[in-house]
Amino acid sequence: MMSTKAFTLVPAVEREQLMGDGERVSLECVECCGRNLYLGTSDCFVYHFLLEEKTVPGGSATFTATKQLHRHLGFKKPVNELRAASALYRLLALCDGSITLVHMLSLEPVPSGARIKGATAFALNENPVSGDPFCVEVCIISVKRRTIQVFLVYEDRVQIVRELSTPEQPLAVAVDGHFLCLALTTQYIILNYSTGVAQDLFPFCSEEKRPIVKRIGRQEFLLAGPGGLGMFATVAGVSQRAPVHWSENVVGAAVCFPYVIALDSEFITVHSMLDQQQKQTLPFKEGHILQDFEGRVIVATSKGVYVLVPLPLEKQIQDLLASRRVEEALVLAKGARRNIPKEKFQVMYRRILQQAGFIQFAQLQFLEAKELFRSGQLDVRELISLYPFLLPTSSSFTRSHPPLHEFADLNQLTQGDQEKVARCKHFLMSYLNEVRSTEVANGYKEDVDTALLKLYTEADHDSLLDLLVTENFCLLADSAAWLEKHKKYFALGLLYHYNHQDAAAVQLWVRIVNGDIHDCTRSDLYEYVVDFLTDSLDPDLVWQYADWVLQKNPEVGVQVFTKRPVDEQESRFNPDDIISCLKKYPQALVKYLEHLVMDRRLQKEEYHTHLAVLYLDEVLQQRPSASGKDADVTETQAKLRRLLQKSDLYRVHFLLVAALDWHRLARALPFLTSRSHLTDRTRGAGLPVESAILHGKLEQHEEALRILVHELADFPAAEDYCLWCSEGRAPPYRQRLFHLLLAVYLGPGPSAPELPVAAADLLNRRAAEFDAARVLQLLPGSWSVQLLCPFLTGAVRDSVHARRTTQVAVGLARSENLIYKYDKGGKEICPSPEPWSRPCLGGWSCYYGSVPAFSIYWKMLRARHRAPFCRKTGDTGSSPVCHNY
Amino acid sequence: MRKPDGKIVLLGDMNVGKTSLLQRYMERRFPDTVSTVGGAFYLKQWRSYNISIWDTAGREQFHGLGSMYCRGAAAVILTYDVNQAQSLLELEDRFLGLTDTASADCLFAVVGNKVDLSEEGPGEGGQEGGHGPGPAGGGGCAAPRLPKQVQPEDAVAFYKKILKYKMLDEKDVPAAEQMCFETSAKTGHNVDLLFETLFDTVVPVILRQRAQGPPQTVDIASSRPPARTRPACCA
Ligand SMILES: Nc1nc2c(ncn2[C@@H]2O[C@H](COP(=O)(O)OP(=O)(O)OP(=O)(O)O)[C@@H](O)[C@H]2O)c(=O)[nH]1
Ligand SMILES: [Mg+2]
Repeated sequence: MMSTKAFTLVPAVEREQLMGDGERVSLECVECCGRNLYLGTSDCFVYHFLLEEKTVPGGSATFTATKQLHRHLGFKKPVNELRAASALYRLLALCDGSITLVHMLSLEPVPSGARIKGATAFALNENPVSGDPFCVEVCIISVKRRTIQVFLVYEDRVQIVRELSTPEQPLAVAVDGHFLCLALTTQYIILNYSTGVAQDLFPFCSEEKRPIVKRIGRQEFLLAGPGGLGMFATVAGVSQRAPVHWSENVVGAAVCFPYVIALDSEFITVHSMLDQQQKQTLPFKEGHILQDFEGRVIVATSKGVYVLVPLPLEKQIQDLLASRRVEEALVLAKGARRNIPKEKFQVMYRRILQQAGFIQFAQLQFLEAKELFRSGQLDVRELISLYPFLLPTSSSFTRSHPPLHEFADLNQLTQGDQEKVARCKHFLMSYLNEVRSTEVANGYKEDVDTALLKLYTEADHDSLLDLLVTENFCLLADSAAWLEKHKKYFALGLLYHYNHQDAAAVQLWVRIVNGDIHDCTRSDLYEYVVDFLTDSLDPDLVWQYADWVLQKNPEVGVQVFTKRPVDEQESRFNPDDIISCLKKYPQALVKYLEHLVMDRRLQKEEYHTHLAVLYLDEVLQQRPSASGKDADVTETQAKLRRLLQKSDLYRVHFLLVAALDWHRLARALPFLTSRSHLTDRTRGAGLPVESAILHGKLEQHEEALRILVHELADFPAAEDYCLWCSEGRAPPYRQRLFHLLLAVYLGPGPSAPELPVAAADLLNRRAAEFDAARVLQLLPGSWSVQLLCPFLTGAVRDSVHARRTTQVAVGLARSENLIYKYDKGGKEICPSPEPWSRPCLGGWSCYYGSVPAFSIYWKMLRARHRAPFCRKTGDTGSSPVCHNY
Repeated sequence: MRKPDGKIVLLGDMNVGKTSLLQRYMERRFPDTVSTVGGAFYLKQWRSYNISIWDTAGREQFHGLGSMYCRGAAAVILTYDVNQAQSLLELEDRFLGLTDTASADCLFAVVGNKVDLSEEGPGEGGQEGGHGPGPAGGGGCAAPRLPKQVQPEDAVAFYKKILKYKMLDEKDVPAAEQMCFETSAKTGHNVDLLFETLFDTVVPVILRQRAQGPPQTVDIASSRPPARTRPACCA
């Protein structure tokens, strides 16, 4: 067991001061009350000393005892026990079987001569029950066998209040309230002297070993137990603390919280009541008295008196900490809680926790350290300051004094072991990360975050970026220097950005992309910069780097214009400025115009035209002049067609001018100012589809269809043309287009065998789009009915259907008319259905299947007349309704 | 130090493994122990209760302390070594009397420790279904397996004797099967079960004790304990 220094032994009364000459005279008993020290000797003297304590600053205490008086008690026996009753100004002296009352200062016996006779031992009740301040309760072991007596002792008289007999002879006694703790011959008991109720504690053979009974506090006693144990027992007869293990021959015991002190012939031993461990051993020969008096512990040999001076608790704890006994130090500190004012205790305890934390930290016990730092509410900067250069230069922090630990810095702590350094850094990283958003960091968030940034940087830790893109308090100057030193330029840019220095940030990133400085944090840094500029609210910055991003990659770079929020575009970025900026980057320009036309749907002719021209230009560039009609339609071409079809805004002639300027293919063509010329231009350039679309825009459908049919022989495209051209128009417009198409198929021109087939096919599939009568006039006489069977059937059916529908309508109108007349004139009418309905029946059932439409009509009529049906026979020809019509 | 709500005391001859059981449960390890001097205790928080568990010394020298330790106890764990028949007999002869001071409704558990040493004990690599004698387990087990000297039935019989001694009705107390355990502090076998079963059964006892107020002291004249507590030193 490692030892603690809890006490120092300081001489108080030297032997010379006592009995100078008498070699055989010895010290028998001691009493200490405040500064009064009383000694009783074997030759019946009582000595009175004044005890003066001096504490040399920084050193230990010394005592000087100044003798006041000594007086012989008038017996021939030793003084066995002395007890002061300070409230009465009396000293109780047991000598020769009787307790004499003497004055505390004069040591004169009280004039009344009051005394307690027949006592072998006595104890004062330090927890008296009488409540009378002018008396003390004294319990004696009587010379009568197995008898205990309780007295009240006043200034000059004594009064017996109780006498009890015990089952065995008592040998030692202590009192607390009503309870006596007694050592009997074979056991210890607790005896309630007011009720007489007793309780066994445990056996102890007092004849073999001297029993010890010692009150150590309210309702608790310390007893010498078997096997050298110091046993604790309460007045209830139970143990609330585990025993301490002394030596076998303990002659005296005392308590000075939290320690139990025991005396044997060789040593004074000190045990902690908190963990039962032995803490200190002081060699002390021939000691025979050990007692504590209101916190002062006195030991004596037969010749001299010593004081066991407890080291201040804090000093003890510091000693424990110094020897890295964290656990014990904390137990001791916690144990001291009740002895120290709350405020003071908390300050002390926190400090101890922090110190303990550093001890654990130095042993790389990080979990334990963290817990101690947390519970000790450590100023994290204490920890940070251990790591060289982590605290910002501007930090106002200075380490607490006295220091919490002995280390200058981490290098000293680890003795340069780099692996340990790394582990410590890793710990600090996670610790700071944990505390940075808690109240632990309050007041010095800058220091914490800056330190964390530095650690992350050094360790090349991913969290560096997270730290910088979220709320943080990293100090700019310090952090920037650190990042630069570690070549973390990307992160440095983030830091600048966080500090509203976007220009500096972008400049740095641009240099990385350009390869002027090296930092491979992001492989997609260019895209990152583009996104950054896109999100930037600073138009100057965007314009400053627009050229750079466009040069690098026009199509991606243009995003700085196209991807920003529309409202911001409108307020801060003029499209014309952008377009002129983009002149040098045609791909970017196309993207931007597409953005204006398609995404933002700007209805400005210029943009539409410009875009069309650019598409056109690209299409022309892409098409080698030799390529045939069936070359695949490129993406741009598809876009061009879509634009030409959908947009009504582009100016064809402008387009053409532009195209002519740029394209040598157009040089042969005359200068064109009208829309119609575009068709030539596009056709001349081998873009018949586009020409057709443009013709369509000019309402020159015949020409458009002619191109599609004759030049391209693309019949589905032609049909498609009729459909998109007539989108949103009235049906006759569409019919006109289909008729035109049919005319183109059948009309003059380069005859091809597939044209009639296409025409027949068109008719057969789209019969509804045609006026059959006009079609029939157009068709060549040579065509077989077979060929046009689906068309004809459809047409005939349509025509019959139309006729019959009309007839029904006419019939209904007539009957309406008839009913009207009947209602007016009251003339009976008997409609006879047969003559006019007969020819219809077949048709109706043919049209409406099994539902006899006629009968529906008939029922309707009857319902309206509510008249009995009267059939007129022989009336041939037309019905009466017909007459009136 | 908070005052505990209830007390559990471990009794049994020296060397049966009381300290080891407690360390296994409280500290989850099986360290080398020294024979206990005097006694020691742990505080265990179980639900909202603080339970103190006293580890006593089995050595004859400290036998006399047992009564005081048991005073007011809510439960007593009587521990023997399954490989030492004598240790069970000692419980009856020497230790049962110590529980006279325990609370009137004190619970008893009978625990046979060190089952890992005997043949029928649970193997280290998991339990085997096989009963009957014969070479057990095999490979890797260093300690030679001994035939178990005390059978669970013996413990149950002892438990019933306790009830008789205490003049308790079997119906009023937990069944023997519930309160007799075979454990190994070494392997941890049944150790948690032992303590946790006991805590769970002891909480109602604690509550009842609380409701009744502190135990009454005994009148010295009228009810001196019988002479069987004669101190060892005078024997
Ligand atoms: N194999 C085995 N050995 C055990 C077991 N439990 C305890 N032991 C050993 O038995 C010896 C005694 O154990 P302790 O726990 O000190 O016994 P105790 O009952 O506390 O003894 P006292 O304190 O003297 O009363 C030690 O060497 C332990 O290692 C067990 O379950 N299995
Ligand atoms: Mg033990």
